[in-house]
Amino acid sequence: MAEAWQFLLRRPDLLSGWTLQHLYIILVANGISLIIAVALGIWITGRGREKIADVVLYLSDIIMTIPSLAMFGFLMPLFAALGLKSYGFGVAVTALVLYGLLPVIRNTYTAIKEVDPAVVEAGRGMGMSELQILTRIKLPLATPVIMAGLRNAVVINIGIAAIAAMIGAGGLGVPIFRGLRNLRMDLIITGAVALTLLAWAADGLLGLLERWLTPEGLKRARKR
Amino acid sequence: MIRLEEVTKVYPDGTEAVRGVTLQVAKGEFCVLLGPSGCGKTTTLKMINRLIPLSSGRITVDGVDIYKVDPNDLRRGIGYAIQEIGLFPHMTVGENIATVPRLLRWPKERIRRRVEELLELVGLVPPEEFSKKYPAELSGGQRQRVGVARALGADPPILLMDEPFGAIDPITRERLQDEFLRIQAEIKKTIVFVTHDINEAVKLGDRIALMREGRLVQYATPAELLAHPKDGFVRDFVGADRTLKALRLLRVREVMEEKPPTVEASKPLAEARERLERLGVNFLPVVDREGRFLGWLNRTNLRPEGRVAEVMTPYSVLATPDTPLNEALSLMFESAVGNLAVVDGEGRLRGLLTFRRLHEVLRESYREEGQG
Repeated sequence: MAEAWQFLLRRPDLLSGWTLQHLYIILVANGISLIIAVALGIWITGRGREKIADVVLYLSDIIMTIPSLAMFGFLMPLFAALGLKSYGFGVAVTALVLYGLLPVIRNTYTAIKEVDPAVVEAGRGMGMSELQILTRIKLPLATPVIMAGLRNAVVINIGIAAIAAMIGAGGLGVPIFRGLRNLRMDLIITGAVALTLLAWAADGLLGLLERWLTPEGLKRARKR
Repeated sequence: MIRLEEVTKVYPDGTEAVRGVTLQVAKGEFCVLLGPSGCGKTTTLKMINRLIPLSSGRITVDGVDIYKVDPNDLRRGIGYAIQEIGLFPHMTVGENIATVPRLLRWPKERIRRRVEELLELVGLVPPEEFSKKYPAELSGGQRQRVGVARALGADPPILLMDEPFGAIDPITRERLQDEFLRIQAEIKKTIVFVTHDINEAVKLGDRIALMREGRLVQYATPAELLAHPKDGFVRDFVGADRTLKALRLLRVREVMEEKPPTVEASKPLAEARERLERLGVNFLPVVDREGRFLGWLNRTNLRPEGRVAEVMTPYSVLATPDTPLNEALSLMFESAVGNLAVVDGEGRLRGLLTFRRLHEVLRESYREEGQG
């Protein structure tokens, strides 16, 4: 521990660099993932799309079960075959986008499906268009649950992104792997502690965001 | 005005939910669609605002075919309230009520005034306070009032209501019905109202459309439906106590004895005794010089000396000319003398309701039934 502290004092620039890299990967990956997942999650709630919904949820379920190392193992040759750079940021982000899908798709789908049908019927009966029903009723009511899914996805991805250091994507996995290779405990501990703190911080902040985005009326309903 | 012509709904699986229903609801009329569950009443209602598409037939609102207008425009012009209410839980009461005005892009200030006006109308006062509350903070009855207020949001000429008072306790339901009748008397909307409760239908409706298995069985005024049920099904549905139900449709003014004999409180008892004997009755209503009702003079309380005022029994219960007969009947049982004094707003005696008159009325309605 003392060694890690000394390393930190010696090279704070390195740690902040890795952390920022890590954050950047997560931000890009989960940002793209969120957009795709919410759109897909909404789309599969549509009338007559029950079968498609089953397939989509099943596929994203399968993606989650692929071990991360195996995922890189699949993506690298695929990228190479497509003539793209077969290591680094692009491959890492692609993998994390895929991993981030399931929690958000599932939560979006469930939350929208669970909006009280009477509420939707009232909206429709008063002359709201389907788009207005989505944006004024369904999405606001589903937001807390979608946010919980995002939080879940981000925390999972912070862990997986560390492994992406192996394929040259950078981030907080770098000191850990370097330390493992050279038996440098200070590097290992620095990386591990920073990674854990990052995950906790992200979890806490997204929790706050979730609460902040929860409509007031729902908060009061829960208090009862 | 709403017209349904040979309206039919057949679902893809072949179920015929509504079969050739034709009926007309005049402007300002309160039409109740009544029937057991599965009779097609809700389907019929939802075809009027196109929540359920027609299979065949035609529906017009003020002469315009509802399929000639955009469904959202159509619905914004028709108030809609349902049993489950369906208040938006993430919006305040005020925002809920403002739903249709917002869709119609009313100016903010007009919306605010309208919301307050409606909250006053449905008795959620003070409006500034209720407007800011969320549905979760209201009681069931209050939520239902918000549901009605929301349906009235943009002041639509037509209201569609699907058992709006169905899910509340009986006492609150009675009160909401009474309030709604008062509101309707004020706003005079054209209303189509679905219920399976014959008492609610009789109480609220100007006309009742009784449905069974997708067909319209009888379309008549409540009095007509009770007095002349068209067939066995209607007779069973309205119930064996339909004579008693008919009582609530009559008002005291229609059956009371007008200008009954009275005695003035200041008269000597000797004169009163003579009057009782001449009329051959045991009771006389006592009034003051202006004709205001004071109480009853009972023959058994007569004394040789004194004035009427000294021995009269002050009244305990009263009716007004507008009291429904069913309420008057229970008041009569409370009354010390068995008869019921009917007074106007100034307390002046307008008439008497006696068991003899009531009996005659009941016998008449039984006779009608025999013919029908």
